[in-house]
Amino acid sequence: MKALLAYSHAVDWISDKFGRIADWMVLLSCAISAGNAFVRYGISYSSNAWLEVQWYLFAGMVMLGASYTLKRNEHVRVDLLYGSVSHTTRLWIDILGFVFFMLPAMILLTWMTWPFFMDSFIRNEGSPNAGGLMRWPVKLALPVGFALLVLQGFAELFKRIAVLRGVDMGPDAFLEYKKPEQ
Amino acid sequence: MTLDMMPPLMFGGLVLFLLLGFPAAFSLSAVGLFFGFLSIEMGFFNEAFLGNLPLRVFGILSNDLLLAIPFFTLMGAILERCGLAEDLLEGTGQLFGKVPGGLAYAVILVGAVLGAITGTVAASVIAMGMISLPIMMRYGYDMRIATGVIAASGTITQVIPPSLVLIVLGDQLGKSVGDMYAGAIGPSFLQIILFMLFILGVSIFQPHKVPPLPPEALQPRGWPLYWRVLKGMVPSIVLIFLVLGTIFLGLATPTEAGAMGTVGAVFLAVAQGTYSWKLLREAMGNTMRITSMVIFILIGATVFSLVFQGVDGSHWIEHLLSHLPGGKTGFLIFVNIFVFFLAFFLDFFEIAFIVVPMLAPVAANMGIDLVWFGVLLCINLQTSFMHPPFGFALFYLRGIAPRTVLTRDIYWGAVPWLFLQLALVAIVIVWPESVTYFIDHGPQVDPSTVTIDVPLPEAPDDDAVPVFR
Amino acid sequence: APALAQAMPEIRWRCASSFPRALDTIYGAGEHVARRVAALTDNKFRIQVFQAGEIVPGLATLDAVQAGTVDCTHTASYYFVGKDPTFAFDGTVPFGMNFRQLNSWLNAGGGREVLKPFFDTYNVVSLQAGNTGAQMGGWFRREIRTVEDLRGLKFRIGGFAGNVLAKLGVVAQQIAGGDIYPALERGTIDAAEWVGPYDDEKLGFQRVAPYYYFPGWWEGGLNLAMLVNKAKMEELPPLYREVLESACRDATIETMAKYDRVNPEALRRLVAGGAQLRPFPRPVMEACYRAAMEVYEETSNTNAHFKRVWEHFKAYRETQLQWFRVAENSYDSFVYAMQAQEQQARR
Ligand code: NA
Ligand code: NA
Repeated sequence: MKALLAYSHAVDWISDKFGRIADWMVLLSCAISAGNAFVRYGISYSSNAWLEVQWYLFAGMVMLGASYTLKRNEHVRVDLLYGSVSHTTRLWIDILGFVFFMLPAMILLTWMTWPFFMDSFIRNEGSPNAGGLMRWPVKLALPVGFALLVLQGFAELFKRIAVLRGVDMGPDAFLEYKKPEQ
Repeated sequence: MTLDMMPPLMFGGLVLFLLLGFPAAFSLSAVGLFFGFLSIEMGFFNEAFLGNLPLRVFGILSNDLLLAIPFFTLMGAILERCGLAEDLLEGTGQLFGKVPGGLAYAVILVGAVLGAITGTVAASVIAMGMISLPIMMRYGYDMRIATGVIAASGTITQVIPPSLVLIVLGDQLGKSVGDMYAGAIGPSFLQIILFMLFILGVSIFQPHKVPPLPPEALQPRGWPLYWRVLKGMVPSIVLIFLVLGTIFLGLATPTEAGAMGTVGAVFLAVAQGTYSWKLLREAMGNTMRITSMVIFILIGATVFSLVFQGVDGSHWIEHLLSHLPGGKTGFLIFVNIFVFFLAFFLDFFEIAFIVVPMLAPVAANMGIDLVWFGVLLCINLQTSFMHPPFGFALFYLRGIAPRTVLTRDIYWGAVPWLFLQLALVAIVIVWPESVTYFIDHGPQVDPSTVTIDVPLPEAPDDDAVPVFR
Repeated sequence: APALAQAMPEIRWRCASSFPRALDTIYGAGEHVARRVAALTDNKFRIQVFQAGEIVPGLATLDAVQAGTVDCTHTASYYFVGKDPTFAFDGTVPFGMNFRQLNSWLNAGGGREVLKPFFDTYNVVSLQAGNTGAQMGGWFRREIRTVEDLRGLKFRIGGFAGNVLAKLGVVAQQIAGGDIYPALERGTIDAAEWVGPYDDEKLGFQRVAPYYYFPGWWEGGLNLAMLVNKAKMEELPPLYREVLESACRDATIETMAKYDRVNPEALRRLVAGGAQLRPFPRPVMEACYRAAMEVYEETSNTNAHFKRVWEHFKAYRETQLQWFRVAENSYDSFVYAMQAQEQQARR
């Protein structure tokens, strides 16, 4: 159990770091988008590279930030029933959910998106638009993001198993599901 | 088990999986994969078919229209944190101070203005919710009215141009986006009026649900108040005009306008002296998590709809549609009821892609104006964001509402607004001019009188002798 | 007839179209193939066509065929120039050949054979399945009078043509699809192009960018392709393969016929609705032509597949153009001129 929790701890740290990167992508994409508009209007200059980098950063924030969002337990739920059952039942729903819903899907998607990235990388795929960007960096975000979710999924699973087995991890074992705000 | 049993089973499975309460994004992908593997087992398609998933996920991530989500969320988060948005609503609230329902009117109006800026429901609902829910809670609004008016006002954006739904519908109906936008103007005003009338009704019959500001919150009338209200409102109004203005001046595309608004919000926060590095840092983090959460719902949904396509879900729906009653009005009523119920299970993308292409030729044959038809569907599809328990607007609202807000209240809060939207559908059916009046029919020249006569290259020089070698 | 049953097994394919159903001419070519194939095999070989986005996004269909996650795609190969510019030759290239000439190159001139080793590396077989004819040059908010007017022109145009125009100072802008109309309306961009009158009419651009330029020199005759997964093609019984190829050819004639029927009427309606027809000025066309030839040379220097195909294409084009100037063009120009005289006399 101890080893599993050490694993969870390490993965939390990794997701944290990627979460920071994803945060910055928000600001960067926003600044670039506003900059694009100003420059195009002001000096009639722009390029598809600067347009494409916006959605590259968007893909980055979504994929690299998803595991951190999971760690914060902020992926939204239909909590019609979930909100009214006992703490233990909630733990069980989460455990079954990770084992049967989330992990198989995310493992499958990691496995599927890797060759998708590799094909683009090997062929040095570019953009169909004049002056656009290489495609592989943004395609790499897919397997990386899904793999991070797999890692974090196991981490969350182990935390809940530990709590269920009575391991005392303090009140901050994992974050209760709640709003991401305030 | 036969192929045509799969689509209804998938709908059933969707409800069951989601109700368990595991995060919606992963439940959606799980229900898709569950039926996917079942279909492979039954031989409806092979494993290779699921290999289309990476392409679909990449399609979502490379859809630059979705950039509006982080941009407008960041703008909302900054406004909310530096107290600007609160000032706007407080200001409007103070003006309507003594009127019961004053804050709700303010929310509807702000929702409409926001709707004229942004085209995606997620961006609008999230920004509205972050700004106005805490204020309404503070002044003792009934929780169901508060969540309902926010979700509904947040979804107005998809009827008011610019709108992703209208773009997709126009594309599917083969009508120009410009016509769709023009046609939607009338109904969007009608909707705002309808929403306000509802609040008026509530304030008359159940005034305790929409209390006026308490006397201690109400500032004495007079110049000091007007000045404070003005000072609170001006920056936000400037910001809204900055966003709309940059589109209007041709400085920014509607998507970029969201980023311009964020830059403006930062400047306003600095000007107000409320800006801090911590504020921006928090707003970034918040925006990242909301964007990731929203897009992962779309990723989950795409797993579901790929399998739905694979089991011939579109044929199943086509079959359901084959028993349509005759007559224009009968057809319209039936179609709208059908779409209303379908919207419980499918989101507007799927309805637009699967159902609309089957309906369009039938409608065209009946002589129904396709722009009118599209706007009708657009209003109806607005309900698909509001259906408890799976409406995406309700998910988004749940995602940002404080814990003390019960999910039950969000669901029940949505119900009256569903009926208001249906009422609007009925109004637009009996009064087509509310749509067609605003469509620019262009200069009315009879095409048959037009002669196309472009200049020809000059005739060859008569003396030129062809040379053969 | 067990022998016959064996020769005609039940086969069902999924075809992911790159086009939305609303583009009824182009999308319809894919459906035409499916209909013909089913009719000619007594419904034994069925192809189900899905519009863009139903299975995969329209610009991702090649990936799907290559990986075998769908059996084939109905598309325009030049959508994939990001992967390799050589794809353009299977669609259309700036100042390339018109429908007749490209048709000849692909089917009788060895074009198909020259492209084959290239398509092999993507694991697909390309069949010709439709053509749009020469396209229009798009919708402009202001007039283009000189080559200078191109400098700083914000034009939503993709692919190869974007590279050519960039040489002349055009700012090629691939903004989001839904942003085009409002951006064009407000002057955030200055111009956008689509196909020809019939398809353009649905977008309503004439209201916000009235100058309608011609010709679309970057698409002198866009060839539509049915790209089929190579293994799937080889698995087909010989009869079905013949049927599929015939159906695709049939669709080519069918689409061209349909476009030539609907475009003239649509152009009249557009002009009646306020569109201002404008030819690109000769000096502008010449500058674009020279820029295009530079791009071909530059690309040839860095891409062996491209170089091999371009040289073959260029040689064939030269022979074709010489011949077409003799009978076709003399005949056409004379008839056009006489008809124009009659037309003016009537007024
Ligand atoms: Na809107
Ligand atoms: Na074109």
